[in-house]
Amino acid sequence: MRVVIAEDAAVLRELLAQMLTMRGHEVAASVADADALRAAVAEHRPDVCVVDIRMPPTHTDDGLRAAIDIRHELPGTGVLLFSQYVETKYATRLLAQGSAGVGYLLKERVANVAEFTDALERVAAGGTALDPEVVTQLAGAGRRTEQLSALTDRERDVLTLMAEGRSNGAIAQRLHVSAGTVEKHVAAIFAKLGLPVSEDDNRRVLAVIRMLQRDPWE
Amino acid sequence: MREPRDAGAVRAVLTAPLTRRAWARAAYCLLSYVPALAGFLLVVAALAVGAAFTLTLVGAVLGMLFLVAGLALARGLGALQRLLAAWLLGERVAAPPVVSSRGGLFAAVEARLRDGAAWRSVAYVLVRLPPATLGLYAVAWWVVGAVNVLAPVRWVAGQHDLRLMTPLPFGGEPALGSLGGAFAATAAGCAILLVAPWLTRGVVAVDGRLVRALLGPGELTERVRDLEETRALAVDDAAQRLRRLERDLHDGAQVRLAALAMSLDMVREQLDERDRPELRRLVEMARDNAAETLTELRDLSRGLHPPALDGGLADALTTLGARAALPVDVTVDVPNRPTPAIESLAYYCVAELLANVIKHSGASRCGVELSTGDGTLRLRVTDDGRGGARIADGGGLAGLVQRARTVDGELTVHSPQGGPTTVRVRLPLHA
Repeated sequence: MRVVIAEDAAVLRELLAQMLTMRGHEVAASVADADALRAAVAEHRPDVCVVDIRMPPTHTDDGLRAAIDIRHELPGTGVLLFSQYVETKYATRLLAQGSAGVGYLLKERVANVAEFTDALERVAAGGTALDPEVVTQLAGAGRRTEQLSALTDRERDVLTLMAEGRSNGAIAQRLHVSAGTVEKHVAAIFAKLGLPVSEDDNRRVLAVIRMLQRDPWE
Repeated sequence: MREPRDAGAVRAVLTAPLTRRAWARAAYCLLSYVPALAGFLLVVAALAVGAAFTLTLVGAVLGMLFLVAGLALARGLGALQRLLAAWLLGERVAAPPVVSSRGGLFAAVEARLRDGAAWRSVAYVLVRLPPATLGLYAVAWWVVGAVNVLAPVRWVAGQHDLRLMTPLPFGGEPALGSLGGAFAATAAGCAILLVAPWLTRGVVAVDGRLVRALLGPGELTERVRDLEETRALAVDDAAQRLRRLERDLHDGAQVRLAALAMSLDMVREQLDERDRPELRRLVEMARDNAAETLTELRDLSRGLHPPALDGGLADALTTLGARAALPVDVTVDVPNRPTPAIESLAYYCVAELLANVIKHSGASRCGVELSTGDGTLRLRVTDDGRGGARIADGGGLAGLVQRARTVDGELTVHSPQGGPTTVRVRLPLHA
């Protein structure tokens, strides 16, 4: 896949480029600020870009704003946000336009390059990759604790992995159970939370996120 | 070596009546006499009438209004005097703080009766009359001197019944029988004009002391103002330092640790599990350590300055509420952003209070409300838990009270046994 990297710390930017190249991906450009990211995406039309949220010029949420612009102008481009913190507000803004081709990971997830690349590939292919921390916070922000408490521990694990954007097969592999067992859990979760059943991974993620974000007291 | 200095002194004495400063002092004495006399009479009258009415009890309300009027008049006269002193003498004295009171008419009357600055103005108005009279007398020296200097002109103009005028209350006024006599009067007038500036200068020096001592903000008030200013600087500086530290960590150590963990994982992938299993395990351990250090560093730097605060309290508190282990309703209505130091203080109050709710209250949900009004930031944290929260020495709540006090804020707890608990925090919008 063709990747554009936007990260203001040179060490990490170069290491990411090196890692992706070693794994046979094409790094079309690696840039250090939000404006350069917009220009590079317009020029190279990558499959996906890795975007640090806190970048020059203002060092606040420049990366996020650029990412939202990119998804607006070139909807086919996957965007993986990459940050040292998880902010509910950022996640909500990013997911406001849907969850297809969107990712939000903590920077420390690069400690597992295989999983990181996996997430990036998922986003490039139009899937979703949310950090477990993002999912926890969205669940907290939506205050769905009563409904969530109806789930068993195993079901909650499955829900978290589902919200992270993983397919049933990937969930099964992760939890060391059969695909059939996962399917049974998923069906139980959808029934308990009152979600519409869907085979499409993205719509499934979106449904889960909407459920997590909805405020029961509003 | 002494000669030039003596020459300078002689010149100073001789030119004293011709300097701008001397004229300005004379004008000050002249202009401030009428307000001094009228003010003295009016203030004394108002206070005397007020005191008399107040003592009769029946007319106490009317009497107090007279007192308040007298005090207000004294403050007004003080303000006028400060203006004159600034304009003519270049003596700038800061105004005392204005009286502010909340509540109804009685509170306002009481605040004004207790206004120390107004009573000091009254003292000034009372003490001022003698020096003001002396000042007028000093101005008379100027006038008499000038009239005498002009005696020959008047003689030539045909006025032959001239008398020598003197500013002294004794000695009479000898007649000047000739043009020679008129010139003698000129000499006497010059002598009087040489003395006059020193008289006005003396009077003004006394008055200047009175103005500074009685019409200024007062030593304590000035000290308080000074301390408030430096404290605000210290508070803002501390907040800024923490923020810079967080930014340095974010751009430095945290990035390097992420890169380190990533490199170690890349090394791990290159190592064949079958060939060097112990080496692979070592590298894996190193990678995990780096990743865990990164997580700890993240929590640490969030404690220094949560990055979401850059976007305002609404963003930061939403994230904080979302991370909490119980449902939190966050309502933020803060149209004007407080200074960063106050924002981070408010944030840590909420963080600490939420932690308390989770640890001690057994509550099922919690509300956080933030609003502004009257130049203050108001925070209310409520929970439906078992109550009984106290501000105990060395406890978390006492720590928050201390932190709020550093900016003149306050924290109150209402927590009956059995709940619910409400904690209110009031902070200024700037330190």
